[in-house]
Amino acid sequence: MKTIGAEHIKDLCNGAAFLATGGGGDPYISQLLAERILHQYGPAQLISPDDLPDEAFVVSIGMVGAPTVTLEQLPTVDEAISALNRYEAVTDKHIDAVIPFEIGGGNSTIPPFVAAMKGIPCVDGDGMGRALPEAQMMTFPIYGVKPTPAIIVDSFGNSELLECADALSFEKEIRAKAVAMGGMITSAEHGMTGALVKRSAVPHTLSFATKLGALLRQHDGIIDAIEPDLFALFNASDYGVIKRLFTGKVVDTTRKIISGYDVGTATLQSFNDASRKMEILIRNEYLVASINGRTVASVPDLICIVEQETARPLNAERMRYGQRVAVFGIGCTHHYRTARALSVTEPRAFGFDLDYIPLEEIDFP
Amino acid sequence: MRIGIDVGGTHTDAVLMDGMEILCAHKALTSNDVRQGIIDALDQVMTEGRVDLNAIKAVMIGTTHFTNAIIERRQLSPTAIIRACLPTGSGLPPMCDWPSDIASVLGYHGYMIGGGHLFDGRQISSIDETALDQAITDIIYNGVKSIAVSAAFSPANNLHELKIAAQIRRRIPDASISMSHEIGRLGILERENAALLNASLSELAAKVVSSMEAALTERGLQCPFFVSQNDGTLMSAKFIARYPALTFSSGPTNSLRGAAVLSGMKDALVVDIGGTTLDVGVLSNGFPRESNSHIAVGGVRTNFRMPDILPIGLGGGSLVTDEGARVGPQSVGHKLVSEAIVFGGSTLTATDIAVANGSVKVGNTSLVQTLDPALVERSTKRIHDIIDEAIDKMRPSETPVPVILVGGGAILVSRELDTASSVIVPDHAGVANAVGAAIAQVGGEVEQIVSFSKQDRAHALEDLTQQAQAKAIAAGADPKSLRLLDIEETSVSYMDDEAVRIRIKVVGELRHTK
Repeated sequence: MKTIGAEHIKDLCNGAAFLATGGGGDPYISQLLAERILHQYGPAQLISPDDLPDEAFVVSIGMVGAPTVTLEQLPTVDEAISALNRYEAVTDKHIDAVIPFEIGGGNSTIPPFVAAMKGIPCVDGDGMGRALPEAQMMTFPIYGVKPTPAIIVDSFGNSELLECADALSFEKEIRAKAVAMGGMITSAEHGMTGALVKRSAVPHTLSFATKLGALLRQHDGIIDAIEPDLFALFNASDYGVIKRLFTGKVVDTTRKIISGYDVGTATLQSFNDASRKMEILIRNEYLVASINGRTVASVPDLICIVEQETARPLNAERMRYGQRVAVFGIGCTHHYRTARALSVTEPRAFGFDLDYIPLEEIDFP
Repeated sequence: MRIGIDVGGTHTDAVLMDGMEILCAHKALTSNDVRQGIIDALDQVMTEGRVDLNAIKAVMIGTTHFTNAIIERRQLSPTAIIRACLPTGSGLPPMCDWPSDIASVLGYHGYMIGGGHLFDGRQISSIDETALDQAITDIIYNGVKSIAVSAAFSPANNLHELKIAAQIRRRIPDASISMSHEIGRLGILERENAALLNASLSELAAKVVSSMEAALTERGLQCPFFVSQNDGTLMSAKFIARYPALTFSSGPTNSLRGAAVLSGMKDALVVDIGGTTLDVGVLSNGFPRESNSHIAVGGVRTNFRMPDILPIGLGGGSLVTDEGARVGPQSVGHKLVSEAIVFGGSTLTATDIAVANGSVKVGNTSLVQTLDPALVERSTKRIHDIIDEAIDKMRPSETPVPVILVGGGAILVSRELDTASSVIVPDHAGVANAVGAAIAQVGGEVEQIVSFSKQDRAHALEDLTQQAQAKAIAAGADPKSLRLLDIEETSVSYMDDEAVRIRIKVVGELRHTK
């Protein structure tokens, strides 16, 4: 893919919902907005990190806050572009390209449309390769990119400059600002050179998600028929490994909100053997999957669930008894496999008392 | 006594009820003329029931008229929309996600002005009076009389919608105004779409109401009449002229409510099997479980409250293929009576299998004697497996549930269902819709985001319950009979821990009717 236009957005959103591992909210509003803007401005140029000059200046952009708020407080056209313009004004730097910080969910659509508006390229990659809830979990700070200076903008035209010592304080600060500024804000952050993008970003995820989203709509959505192509797509990517972990139906779910997180568990039961059960631990995203007490996949590896008869990615908020689903485990990219990266993304970082074991090392019946 | 009439796409059912007892029931083909159809239905039950006019205390009508008008894009009025949201929301203007064929029927009369609220009750901005007056001037110039009004977070704070509606009313006294907070839920795009559809039906609604009134007057009935809504409650003639869209999907709702009364069950699954499809719905406390997802009506995404219905491609006319391994989703439909083998045709259908396995005797049973017993067994099992899976997808948990079977295709079920604790086929199951209309109650509902850090939970619930009760009484409920039907609490993700979306619903008996 050399460009990304309105015609790609539906597939991008579908693929992004798969990579959101159960989080990311309903992508409908981001999809509509991106389609409208790209339709008006024409497609954005998509540039591979490999082709980015080392000295280019790249800024990451997306929205932070409560997805429920955007249901009422719809976006304007200008929030993202004014965040970039303000960023340039405050830092006195010229932005050469933008990059998503989170491919999983609606935040994947903002950089492509704002790139088209500003007439600059969008980098084909992101700062997670999936969805994760907090800023310190992004690959950018893990590989040495400073989150600030960051410019946050609300839909009233207010903007603020954030300067924070590290990613943890940035996360705390921006979350508080989101609530204070109406529940949802747009953030331009993690300014970095092309060289740093190459080192820290998960590459090619925008084009990958678009291909993935198109693939999931093949074969009338019958996941068994899609699976061979799905495996081929992931095996040839930076994710490398993909396994079908489970096929069955949802038999139980529990959920509640703790400290702004949607926390819960889901229990699935195999169609062939009622005693074979999968338990999934949820904190916004699907984080740990076990079969009859044995862990078969854990964060930062991806646990992705689709409805069996439609191949539609299943959001944790929509999960309920009786749904027929297929569960896939997908290896995280090498970015998350260092001790430094795991210290902020392994199960213990979410409060689960278990070690991360890479998906490919788990013996799986 | 009450008369319940359900005007469906094909059939019009009518019942005469005394309390919960069915005195007589009637089924006829639906007439194109609303007035004549209702007169015919009234005549049938009143003649058969031999009742005195004065004994009829109320007539309840369920109708698909308004849904069909939207789907067929006919008799819709040109409609404008004023949304108070600026400076937010300019990226997604009104009707931005509508199919062009219906958008062009309503015309493109969308306006955005300053106004609306935030999640925490603060104003986005005060109403931009100048922009509002310009919008109204424009609407007057275009001669549009049906007007929808929406504002950000209006389900939590309706003040701006009320103010805008009052200003429209001042300048266009005969306008039909639909305020989004009265019709839909959180989610402004879907809610204002719902308000737009409602407003576009206003002229048609006035005509339908006067046709219904004329029918009753012609037969000398002086009692009030009511129309059933999609949540299983009633609205008066005055309300339906303002909220015709709340009748969408009232057919399946009436069927579920009717099944509840006919079977005496309040918590059960209802499987309504027709010729081509079966519908599974869930009864909870005597009312249909509501769907949480968005529902497209005529291609327009809305968030009306609607019953949660799972349709499956299996019915009496379903084709049996692959040596009995496959039943449906293709069906001979209404041609069952000529194409099924037992009726002398040449297509093997689910009904033929039900005859061959001895569960029912219809048509010429000797015509299916030669079928391979293994095929009959395989397809019988397949039919039950499909129904079991459909029930399993809808039941709230793994515990087997009571299942009520209604509809002509109920004959397909001859064996135990693993998912069902019991299977009930009530009498009069064929007119469950009309029964559901006849026994409907009056309800009131409120939805709001509440912060428990500002108001404690008990007071918040009490406050909202009182608001819901006031709405029910305004809609015609007897205050003494009110009961709390449902409290739904949903935490708002990523926000302060104590922000909760609460929805409360109360119902009660109609005043002065037994």
